[in-house]
Amino acid sequence: MDTVVSDLLCIGAGLAGERVAVEAAAAGFSTICLSIVPPRRSHSSAAQGGMQASLGNSCMGEGDCPDVHFEDTVKGSDWGCDQEVARLFVERAPEAVREMAFWGIPWNRVVAGKSTYFKGGKQYEKVEAPEKEGLITARDFGGTAKWRTCYTSDGTGHTLLYTMDNKVVELGVTVHDRMEAISLIHDGENCMGAVARCLKTGKLRVYLARATLIATGGYGRIYRETTNAVINDGGGAIIALDTGIVPLGNPEAIQFHPTGIVPTNILVTEGCRGDGGTLLDVNEERFMPEYEPAKAELASRDVVSRWMTHHIRRGLGVPSHYGDHLWLDIRHLGAAHIKTKLREVEEICNNFLGIDPVTQLIPVRPAQHYTMAGIRTNKDGAAYGLKGLFAAGEAACWDLHGFNRLGGNSLAETVVAGKIVGEKVVEYLKGHEARFDTGVVRDRVRRDQERIDRLIGCKDGKEDTFKVRSAMQDELMERVGIFRNGKDLQQAVDNLQEILQRARRVGLRSSGLGANPELTLALKIEGMVKLALCTAYGALQRTESRGCHAREDFQARNDRDWLNRTLATWKEGANLPALEYEPASPSMPLPPGDRGYGASKIITCDGEIIDRG
Amino acid sequence: MGRHLTFEIFRFNPEDKDSVPHMETFHLEETERMTLFIALTRIREEQDPSLQFDFCCRAGICGSCAMMINGRPGLACKTLTRELPSEITLLPLPVFKLIGDLSVDTGTWYRAMNEKVESWIHTHRSFDPRAEEQRMDNALAEEIYELERCVECGCCVASCGTANMREDFLGASALNRIARFMMDPRDERSSKEYFEVVGTDEGIFGCMGLLACEDVCPKNLPLQDQLGILRRKMGWQAVKHLFRMG
Amino acid sequence: MQTAAMTRERSFPTRTSAYLDWLQMLTGAGLILFMWSHMVLVASVNLGAGAMNTIARFFEDTYMAQVGGPLIGAAFLLHFVLAARKVPFRTEQQRAIWKHARLIKHTDTWLWLVQAFTAMVILIMGSIHMWTVLTDLPITAAKSAARIQGGFWGVFYLILLPMVELHVGVGFYRIAVKWGLAGRSQRKGLKRFENGLTAMFILIGLITIVRFWTLPI
Ligand SMILES: Cc1cc2nc3c(=O)[nH]c(=O)nc-3n(C[C@H](O)[C@H](O)[C@H](O)COP(=O)(O)OP(=O)(O)OC[C@H]3O[C@@H](n4cnc5c(N)ncnc54)[C@H](O)[C@@H]3O)c2cc1C
Ligand code: HEM
Ligand code: HEM
Ligand code: SF4
Ligand code: F3S
Ligand code: FES
Repeated sequence: MDTVVSDLLCIGAGLAGERVAVEAAAAGFSTICLSIVPPRRSHSSAAQGGMQASLGNSCMGEGDCPDVHFEDTVKGSDWGCDQEVARLFVERAPEAVREMAFWGIPWNRVVAGKSTYFKGGKQYEKVEAPEKEGLITARDFGGTAKWRTCYTSDGTGHTLLYTMDNKVVELGVTVHDRMEAISLIHDGENCMGAVARCLKTGKLRVYLARATLIATGGYGRIYRETTNAVINDGGGAIIALDTGIVPLGNPEAIQFHPTGIVPTNILVTEGCRGDGGTLLDVNEERFMPEYEPAKAELASRDVVSRWMTHHIRRGLGVPSHYGDHLWLDIRHLGAAHIKTKLREVEEICNNFLGIDPVTQLIPVRPAQHYTMAGIRTNKDGAAYGLKGLFAAGEAACWDLHGFNRLGGNSLAETVVAGKIVGEKVVEYLKGHEARFDTGVVRDRVRRDQERIDRLIGCKDGKEDTFKVRSAMQDELMERVGIFRNGKDLQQAVDNLQEILQRARRVGLRSSGLGANPELTLALKIEGMVKLALCTAYGALQRTESRGCHAREDFQARNDRDWLNRTLATWKEGANLPALEYEPASPSMPLPPGDRGYGASKIITCDGEIIDRG
Repeated sequence: MGRHLTFEIFRFNPEDKDSVPHMETFHLEETERMTLFIALTRIREEQDPSLQFDFCCRAGICGSCAMMINGRPGLACKTLTRELPSEITLLPLPVFKLIGDLSVDTGTWYRAMNEKVESWIHTHRSFDPRAEEQRMDNALAEEIYELERCVECGCCVASCGTANMREDFLGASALNRIARFMMDPRDERSSKEYFEVVGTDEGIFGCMGLLACEDVCPKNLPLQDQLGILRRKMGWQAVKHLFRMG
Repeated sequence: MQTAAMTRERSFPTRTSAYLDWLQMLTGAGLILFMWSHMVLVASVNLGAGAMNTIARFFEDTYMAQVGGPLIGAAFLLHFVLAARKVPFRTEQQRAIWKHARLIKHTDTWLWLVQAFTAMVILIMGSIHMWTVLTDLPITAAKSAARIQGGFWGVFYLILLPMVELHVGVGFYRIAVKWGLAGRSQRKGLKRFENGLTAMFILIGLITIVRFWTLPI
């Protein structure tokens, strides 16, 4: 068997994976990154908005500091995050932004003097201080007390990823792209690397490493409607779950966004509504004022998403080939405004819909956006359960975001956690020797090869892998979406268990030779359904509403019973995950309280009920 | 709405001994707002699950999905079928190594390119985590960003006659990358060092001004202008010693 | 860092490519200027045989024809040698560029093929022509007319003329875009100008040939 040995194996070459790799390589350790796509195509490149760090250079961010960032983050998480991690993160974010500047990011800078900006459809003026001229500036993002989001025009993720990969090239880190990890090699105690399948040739290869990192990003693709890239289908989470030992943290914590375009679910910015855009239904009538008389379209993300879904369910959506949707109307903002302030939206509409938003309506509906769920690690990034296994970035549950990640905090997490975890990996590498058990390796490869042979030979059945995926996605969209209730969740769990049986009977229709895409999916489908089950089952058990987990039948945040984190493991042969719970945070410097936005019905730790409706 | 689309798609799987390169026809009913991403995904899921092609972001951001669409390189995810005739021919990008069907290996090519042009900031300073960042004019930052927008999709390379004839030609995206670093005050490379990388027939002097790169770049990068500036700068770099007095 | 320091110390990298590119452009530009002057000389016959003879005599009296002629010939050959580096002579390259051009249907790429093709024609016909004219000095309208009315040369020029003008036109455009003399926003206008120029020169050239044909000897 083709075998490659290194000190560190990074599964995933997005921002998080590469940041860790850079740290290890700079310390002189041999490092290999695997990626499904060339590293620069990783989904990190799609983040346009920006990354948060409390530099406080812009006049609108004056007085900002890690403390304020900390408070925003904890509130954002609805007290679901690990506060020690949040503290670590906010303290080091400014340094991370500066380091990225040093490596070459063309961050937008402060321009002294007057300028105007929009908020809630109105225009305001601000004056930047001359002594800050040329320092890294920031823009406004939801849920933050200060303007804190550093950005490069509309391509923050792109420039971050290109700069990071430049560093990777400079340091000579080996990258094997189109190389997909399909299982972890471990003996129940130590992780020794991974088996990967080459997506150029279809051949298997063994990667042995003293430390293994999973940084495979989010897995939004278990949902049908998602803003995530098509490769975000959970490979990393699956191989961790497959160990039967490593848990996923908070699998029920999934974030949605109200306005993805139909059919491709590309995100259009909230700025559309912020600037005065409205939502219309099949009769081209506004419906938000009916549900939210005060704020209408300007209500928070999850509230707007909820009513949109509700309205569609009432049969007032616009039917289309791709399912029902609603309209976003920005026509009344006028050509001048759209072509300057909402240029990206105009481009997306033109390029991907063939629509001119100045004269036409934009088809939209809510879409999955971010997985707070992920491989549970401690604050060093070390995964629970296996020595030598680490995780970082969206793939991990480090846990900075709790039940709701703030916009701009995830890009920041990738580089900050990447740096911190990188340092810890280096420490680990300095202190540990490798023991590769050839028997374990051989056994793992044999099982993977057997799996492939069975799929190609249709040994377990002839279920169509695409259809199974489709059934799973429908189930999640339908019953484990933005608004959840016990009855639907129970139904979803039942149905998903059946779908899991179907997934186990998948067989290929095509030959499976070479970089066969059907085989690629077939190898993951059972794991994807397991992830879906973790989400559905975790959501069913959590009888409260917290952050993005909104239960219609349990609308209060219940700190008395649920100020904790779900840990889901999957024992071999089981049909449901095993759930355990741990305290949300080892300490609570910022005790649970009111977030100051969104619905706020709280059952406090003492069982007192606070309802500010 | 409801046109009947005919796709002529290049098929070849180098990993299959029985496979020979050929064109295969697929049919599909057009749906509203259909992009090639939707069309190809449907063909794979409903008609031939072995069909190889690359999509990742499906939002025109990552550069994965470049292919020859009716003869022209472009990003498939960004192409609406509505803008094409009802017969659509899809071929893999030339120049790059074929992986199978419409999928080519741009990753290896671009990694080599980045190594060749040393696509990183060259500086003798080291990072001080406590220091304030080096200041920069916002206008300059935006100018750099304008060139940094390249997504390494390979369309410019595939469209370039020179690159098709000579495999050692760096191509427009590499030359643009050099232009980006030349503009960046943080990079301390001298013109002489840049000249060493691109002042050759593999570099800027190999470019024959065919401008297909400029015309196909899906990110609309100012390639014509940057290639012109680079040729002048490198040209001047080569001859300026002749004009030195004494 | 070490490598950067090392490269800085190393002697200057080879400038050959840059020089050759300069020379290619300069010889091309020189030849364009020559062709325009050449047009003035030859087309002056339209103003009457006297005008042409006067100009021709001026060139000879100042020895520009005797010295300039061979110089132009040298520039012509030099330009050929330089530009030939870019012409696909190997069959696989030829196949590649043909396949490519046919596939992408891109005007400027086709224009380059036009340039390469016309170049070959010009190389052969231009040399024959120059040899003929320069070995039969002095230039007079009458001699030219006699040549053209002989038939062979008439047809010869009818072929060479459009080849040269196309090559000159495209070359002019290409120098401007390659060296960034015309930016992105000027490209369209430049192309229109270049097309106009080419058409105009071909027209003047045709009129001139007709004029020679009908000039009473
Ligand atoms: C449309 C959109 C906009 C966003 N905008 C913002 C924003 O403005 N601000 C912000 O802070 N955040 C934003 N986010 C979130 C943020 O971009 C992501 O959370 C973050 O980039 C994830 O980075 P990562 O390194 O963890 O993973 P990714 O960048 O997704 O990288 C994952 C890597 O893992 C590899 N991989 C996956 N599976 C395997 C496998 N099995 N084997 C080998 N390799 C594998 C992939 O090839 C890839 O290299 C946005 C997200 C989306 C979807
Ligand atoms: C009167 C004669 C000629 C004139 C006025 C002329 C003019 C020009 C000009 C201005 C250019 C553009 C130069 C550049 O892009 O740098 C050019 C390019 C070229 N010429 Fe000529 N030329 C002439 C004869 C020839 C001949 C005899 C050949 C024979 C091979 C030739 C081959 C080419 C080629 C191949 C190019 C393209 C080079 C490139 O694109 O890099 N030319 N010519
Ligand atoms: C020093 C060199 C040259 C001299 C002295 C010269 C002179 C002449 C003369 C006298 C004529 C009139 C016809 C004749 O007498 O046969 C003529 C015509 C012509 N020459 Fe030249 N020539 C020179 C170089 C060239 C070159 C390099 C080219 C192009 C490759 C060229 C292309 C033509 C053409 C196309 C005509 C037809 C005239 C027309 O109708 O415009 N000549 N030249
Ligand atoms: S320059 Fe344009 S065409 Fe070329 S790789 Fe970059 S984005 Fe693609
Ligand atoms: S197409 Fe090629 S030849 Fe130059 S102008 Fe563009 S790189
Ligand atoms: S899939 Fe990313 S650019 Fe087309």
